[in-house]
Amino acid sequence: MADRVHSSPKRGRLLTRHGTGLALLGLLTLALVLLGPLFLDRFTQNVLTRSMIYAMMAITVDLLWGYTGILTFGQSAFFGAGAYATALILTHVGGGAQNFALALVLSVILPMALAALVGWLSFYHKSTPLYASVISLVVPIVLSQAIFAGGSFTGSSSGLVGYPVMKLGAANYFRLAGVALILFAGLAWIIVRSDAGRVLIAIRDNPLRAAYLGIRTQRVQIILMTVLGGVAGLCGFLYANAGRIVAPEIAGFGFGTQMIVWTALGGRASIFGPALGAIGIDYLGAQLSGSMPYVWQLIIGVLFVVMILFMPRGLAGLLPRRQRTAAAPTLATLPDRPQESSKDALLSVTGLRKAYGNFVVLDGIELEVRPGELISVVGPNGAGKTTFLRCLSDGTETIQGTITLAGQNIAGRPPEDVVALGIGRKFQVASVFESMTVAECLRLARATHERPTLWNRASGIHLPSAALDILALTGLDKKLAEPVSGLSHGMRQSLELAMVVAMLPRLILLDEPTAGLTKAERTLIGEVLKRLTQELGYAAILIEHDLDFVKEISQRIVVLHQGRLVMDGPVEEVVNSELVRSIYSGMAHD
Amino acid sequence: MTDDRLVIEALTSGYGETDILQGATLTLRRGEILALMGRNGMGKTTLLKTVMGLIPTRGGRVSLDGVPINGKPPAWLLAQGVGYAPQELPLFQDLSIRDNLRLALRGDRDLATALKIVERNFPFLLERLDQLAGTLSGGEQKMLILSRALMTEPDILLIDEISEGIQPSVVQRIETALKAEREQRGVSILVVEQNLGFALGVADRWAVMKLGQIVDEGACDAASRETVLKHLSI
Repeated sequence: MADRVHSSPKRGRLLTRHGTGLALLGLLTLALVLLGPLFLDRFTQNVLTRSMIYAMMAITVDLLWGYTGILTFGQSAFFGAGAYATALILTHVGGGAQNFALALVLSVILPMALAALVGWLSFYHKSTPLYASVISLVVPIVLSQAIFAGGSFTGSSSGLVGYPVMKLGAANYFRLAGVALILFAGLAWIIVRSDAGRVLIAIRDNPLRAAYLGIRTQRVQIILMTVLGGVAGLCGFLYANAGRIVAPEIAGFGFGTQMIVWTALGGRASIFGPALGAIGIDYLGAQLSGSMPYVWQLIIGVLFVVMILFMPRGLAGLLPRRQRTAAAPTLATLPDRPQESSKDALLSVTGLRKAYGNFVVLDGIELEVRPGELISVVGPNGAGKTTFLRCLSDGTETIQGTITLAGQNIAGRPPEDVVALGIGRKFQVASVFESMTVAECLRLARATHERPTLWNRASGIHLPSAALDILALTGLDKKLAEPVSGLSHGMRQSLELAMVVAMLPRLILLDEPTAGLTKAERTLIGEVLKRLTQELGYAAILIEHDLDFVKEISQRIVVLHQGRLVMDGPVEEVVNSELVRSIYSGMAHD
Repeated sequence: MTDDRLVIEALTSGYGETDILQGATLTLRRGEILALMGRNGMGKTTLLKTVMGLIPTRGGRVSLDGVPINGKPPAWLLAQGVGYAPQELPLFQDLSIRDNLRLALRGDRDLATALKIVERNFPFLLERLDQLAGTLSGGEQKMLILSRALMTEPDILLIDEISEGIQPSVVQRIETALKAEREQRGVSILVVEQNLGFALGVADRWAVMKLGQIVDEGACDAASRETVLKHLSI
């Protein structure tokens, strides 16, 4: 077994590790932004001010779509809400420092409230990404229609113009927009590279696995949408002041779709790409629309097609590919904490029945599992074993009967809440995060124990010894910095198993955890599971076909057959029963 | 005429910067069942994917009946009678069992014959033709994958860990089915397996892969279990 590193993990400062080059780039851009007005004409300053505000919007879309996988057409609604809140106050209440402050506050708070509402409507357990996209399409349509219907109050189709604005002058608006863009881009860059940023990518890659790691995916999505709604509102405030005009189009879905185009052309999930895409296209559009009205749209369209064909990664593809953090993180052992032994059942299932329409999958299931027990579920293919595990781990499944875990009825609780009660589930088909490294996956598994920070990435991972054993004996400990996408089938299985064990759930649900492993590897993993249950007092339910493996590590075996629990008893008794013999040698499948 | 059908010589391929296959050499002969084994991560699945043209070859060559097939697309290989039962998620989860099977055929003309072949091995699939593949249990999906590969009557069949998640009695049935295919039609079959009992039971020869190379091979006999186990031990 590989040596374990016992050093305590240190937190690496992102700015020192990756940031020198970036800090230089930031300073250079800052200098350009501050000095720009000295050599740019007024028209260019105005256009670029707008472009840079759009660039911030593109970054919000990138955070939602590129990093978190929420395809949204609705950022324009929050932008429009912020811009209109500003213009309405300045038009109807008047200028003055107090009113500017009021406008600033409302232009952030109103869009945030709207975004929170939209987020709450879009993300709930079992909502689909398509549903969120449709809602994001509806909101800007409703908002722009409301503006159209607002008569002289909102200025209807001609918008609002001629209201008092902050008297900064074109040059200073240019500088303000530039500094805001640099700050926001820098902040976004730091966050997406932090441990919290991995949580966003986890939700994009595999929301189900994220939920089963106890990550409250809906809550994260709603918070992200709310915060970025506020940022969009702030952009709207800047826009309304710098541009001195607001029109209903800025709240419409056409504008929201344009942001998607900027993000796609710039390169998803790269922060800088979408910002450059927005500035490039908006600036080009402004230049061309004067000299070539109408035709410039065609040029942009052709450019779009050419870029998709030849630069699938967008403008970001021109930059050298981001290097993976070279140094593999260190692993550190968590002290073993034995669970208190108790005679009370940790899990109790009474009268469980699950049907899909007329098709009854499970019926009349009664089962109790106590701390320290490893119970194996055997039965022919299609007997309902996987469905059984799903019912135990997702309280929102429609079932009859009761399932209580640690004294709590799980009915109505989505997976992340059941996980919080102490369940961990290993899926039958390995469920990991494809675009991450092995270490990143493992760290996410500890996310509910060690809160990921927004600012940096921990350089070490604390794992319980059982998880470290699994990594060591499958060789995964030497592949910590490697991407999951290059792992073999068996290695993915082991990685997911290590992730589930790393969560230290009181009850571990294992659906064929050793599939794809050799007999020798199975035996070793069996030893790990045995120690986890018999010595440390964790409980486990295991689905497995390999009877030798099952016999070696289980205390009890239950047999599922045609949706019914037909046997529940000590290992020898069940293994030698007629029924099990027939399943394992006979024709029980038909 | 030689009996060598699928010849893999010094094959190299991989993903990104890593070479997973590092000069693998293996020959599949006419009418034989060859079991390829090895610890996980050694390149067994990559070998099958490279032969099927799903991953580009970086070095070495693959030939079918003496004709080089490097770089040929999967569809071309299927048309030449090379069947493939992949390991991970090769089913269309939201299509019915029937449609999953139909998609493997050129037209519905052959469907009736093909379904007879399916019935011979896994009759339960025929009773549930309208069920969505995604609602089958893990083991049942495996049986559908194998059925789909077998019903096109390939001359050469590559099978990746088919016994995984399947109850022992059905594994037995798969063994019988594969042997029957070989007896009746002279199919050459390459099985990648972790289930040693099944692999050595069904195969005529075995080969072991380590770090992207074939390190040992031999005929299946009473001693092979020991030899293979030695290779697989940690």
